[in-house]
Amino acid sequence: MHYIARIAATAAFCVASVASLRAQEVVKLGQIEAQTGPNTIYGWMGSQGVPIAVDEINKAGGFKVGDKTYKLELISLDTRGDPKEATIELKRLLEQDKARFVFGPFLSNVFVTVLPYAKQFDGKFLLLGGATRMHDFVGQPGHDFVIRTWNWDAGPSGFGERMVDYLIKTASPKKVAMLFQNDQGGKVLGEIYEPLFKAKGIETVTEYFEPGTKDFTPVLAKLAAFKADYLFPGYSDAPLYDIVRQATEGNFIRKFFLVRGSLGPGMKNKDGIEDYIVYVPKYFEDAEKISPKVKGFVEAYKAFYKREFPYDQAPLCSSSCYDHVYMLVAAMQRAGTVQDVGKIRTALLSFTYSGVWTIKFDQRGEQIFNFDIVHLKKGGELQITRVEP
Amino acid sequence: MTQVILGQFLNGIIVGTLYGIIALGVTLTFGITGIVNFALGQFMMIGAYAAWHLTDITHLPYPIAVALAVVIAGLAGLLSDRALFQFTRNNLVNGLLVSIGLISVIESGAMLLYTATPKNMDFVLSGAWVFGDITLPRMKVATFGVLVVVIALTWAALANTWLGRATRAYAQNPEAAALMGVNTQALQVGVSVYSCALAGLGGAVYASLYSLEPSMGALFILKGVEAAILAGVGNLAGALVGGVILGVTESIGSLFLPTAFRDAYGLIFLVAILLFRPNGLFGGQK
Repeated sequence: MHYIARIAATAAFCVASVASLRAQEVVKLGQIEAQTGPNTIYGWMGSQGVPIAVDEINKAGGFKVGDKTYKLELISLDTRGDPKEATIELKRLLEQDKARFVFGPFLSNVFVTVLPYAKQFDGKFLLLGGATRMHDFVGQPGHDFVIRTWNWDAGPSGFGERMVDYLIKTASPKKVAMLFQNDQGGKVLGEIYEPLFKAKGIETVTEYFEPGTKDFTPVLAKLAAFKADYLFPGYSDAPLYDIVRQATEGNFIRKFFLVRGSLGPGMKNKDGIEDYIVYVPKYFEDAEKISPKVKGFVEAYKAFYKREFPYDQAPLCSSSCYDHVYMLVAAMQRAGTVQDVGKIRTALLSFTYSGVWTIKFDQRGEQIFNFDIVHLKKGGELQITRVEP
Repeated sequence: MTQVILGQFLNGIIVGTLYGIIALGVTLTFGITGIVNFALGQFMMIGAYAAWHLTDITHLPYPIAVALAVVIAGLAGLLSDRALFQFTRNNLVNGLLVSIGLISVIESGAMLLYTATPKNMDFVLSGAWVFGDITLPRMKVATFGVLVVVIALTWAALANTWLGRATRAYAQNPEAAALMGVNTQALQVGVSVYSCALAGLGGAVYASLYSLEPSMGALFILKGVEAAILAGVGNLAGALVGGVILGVTESIGSLFLPTAFRDAYGLIFLVAILLFRPNGLFGGQK
């Protein structure tokens, strides 16, 4: 009897050890975003939001898929916005770390560069990024790995289409001058919005500026000659602060329309502008007062980083960020696997997630989510319009 | 159109002085320590963030913030010289590598402290002077004035003081200068610190005009080096002229040609000058 008891105890110990090992199984989550460098703005919030969700899930004991409990391991790498760096990092994540889920990139030039390499792993991983250029590849044969985590601009559900409609409804402009950064992100904006404005009878002129430009006076002087009703500058806050300031200070133009970038440049120059219409995925200052989930995220951010909440950058958490970690976990649970990325992809595209944002994906794998149009007028008066595509 | 061109010509001169102050630091450092300090752009960033922090966060008056920012950049320069650059004197490659490494360290530090969110200083001197179609923001004009005065004073000091003469003597013949009683060690440290302080001043006035981000230094060090080469490395007054030529070329070029290639216009001009004058516009005049 004593012998049997010892065997039973040993067996129980082995079972407990295996169970313990199983309990420590991890799902690796990679991230390639620009955390430093001139185009940091777009990758920064994603790299801030994802660790909070990972920490929350792990602290809650992980998540169950079938009878196993998993924890998340985040490997967040800084691309610095450099496509070559990003390719090396993606190689590391896929080949060395064997990550099956990679968040990012938000930058189109980075995406276009990593694409040929990433294609070799189609069916073996998912790349969840916000890059505008990803739109061309979502749902295309051989590109099942591409999941785009941001609203597309054009089309019936397109946020850009809604923005232009809002602009026409509120201001009836005849001419719009566009000023974009000379890179993939800027070029794709030109490709989207030139025909979009033209289709609605609005004349446009487009200029591109060199990344890193600080003095926009010459190009603003050139655009002023076009006598545009609105200036549509893009696409990140770093140049926007300078463009808005120099455009108003130099008396070139005082009305702005933006689909990328934040409210910050308008607020900073609120006495110089006449009109500043901007696409804001979420106006957190307002949303945290009415949504417990938004308030919870703001509090979680403050507690995790022990600093003030970045209200100006937080709207960019609408792409490959906090919500998407929870969404991915939910998709794994629905699919009943952490390994079969095909099943997880199908599951991810099949439900609507209600978190900080209400997010769903279309059949191709492109995100659709609710957003705000913020209309800032001279002096700082704000008007928020909520849009549910 | 004439007024637009004139407006951009003036704008180019103003922007060019910012390139000029960095070029002055580049040319001074290279002449005395034998190092092309590519991290000078980061010292400019330190000056810019310090001025912004002291003005917008600590609420000090802007002129005091500028003075303190210059001191902070100078102290950072002293620290980098004692910790790093003193070991790379007259070794161009080592100095270059150390300065490139320093760029990442300083940039990451700024990112950690202030995040990537651009910082935009509250208006120090708002409004603009308008002459017909020409609009000149007051702060830009004030910045131009300050930088020109500082560059002129530096030039005058180098031409007319004992320390200035010692500096020039050292640049021409280090051994002879040492034999004549010049404390070469102190001179090298002093010039290194002064160059960083100049870059800090450039950053502090820059902060009142443009948005700040941790990576801002990269652009200006390139322009500074371009301006220094255009003038002829070692020519102090030429550094300002080189910066102004670069600024004007970019401004006027952007007006008539695609803005997307703005940086190229200055470079094309530089190459054209170097083809005919390999030592730069003022090369040979020490």
